[in-house]
Amino acid sequence: MRLAEIDRGDSFGHRALIGFISMVSGMRLPDAARVAFYHREFLSGALGEWTHETMRGESPWSISERELMAAMVATWNECPFCIGAHRAIAIKGMPRELADTVLADYRAAPIPAGLKATLGFLETMTRTPENLTPADARAALEAGVTREALDDAIAVATLFAIITRYANALAFAIPTDAEFDKAATMLLKRGYR
Amino acid sequence: MATDHRARAAALRAKAGGGTGETEAALRQAILARAAGGPAVAAPCEALVADVADASWRVTDAEVAAVRTAAGSDKAAFEVVMTAAIGAALLRFDRAMEAADAPR
Repeated sequence: MRLAEIDRGDSFGHRALIGFISMVSGMRLPDAARVAFYHREFLSGALGEWTHETMRGESPWSISERELMAAMVATWNECPFCIGAHRAIAIKGMPRELADTVLADYRAAPIPAGLKATLGFLETMTRTPENLTPADARAALEAGVTREALDDAIAVATLFAIITRYANALAFAIPTDAEFDKAATMLLKRGYR
Repeated sequence: MATDHRARAAALRAKAGGGTGETEAALRQAILARAAGGPAVAAPCEALVADVADASWRVTDAEVAAVRTAAGSDKAAFEVVMTAAIGAALLRFDRAMEAADAPR
């Protein structure tokens, strides 16, 4: 963590909360949660609320599918913290082998055509947005993805365009696999607010 | 009910470029534009903002430390990082919605 005040908390209440959650969970509170507690008056919920609705609200995509999209965006943006964190949540609702096959090469993975075409759209959106064309959207829609589902996937990739960037820029500490698993259980239960 | 992602994106843009911050809103608006491919901002923000937007895995301790020193607080440096990330992301959101909106 490159900014010390995020690490320790910016108020007595937040320091107490960081200490309390770390004690109860038996692990260091991940940096993503420390950022969520930090300088809240700046964006005042505009990022957290949107993330929570997008990742946990009603959607044609399952929670695991949305978390897998997040882990894919993290792969394209070379963000090891977010790959670990969101893969760990995705595999609570899908076979680990399938998630890892998708993360290694989604084009060759045995997943529904709609999800595959949507990941193709999200890859261009993430890596080379200047090359995104209506044909990319058509490919997803023609594979059976509804406009609502495409919009929800675009929101996931937008939010993780933000989260992966600040996780990398601030140099989030990388938890162990066991800690990612524990944090995944908490994030499934509590969400992103 | 489906989430109104356009409204959520607009609200986030408004907070990042205005709202309450330790940095000037004008600087944050310039960073939002820079991260979406606009003109460079002043040093030392430029190097950090460009890396956050284009290759965040390349950000260095020195880039963050230089902005922290110039901006005067951790909160101000945090605002620079978050605003750059949001600018790059909203460029992608806009492009994606434009592609999806095109007549089939």
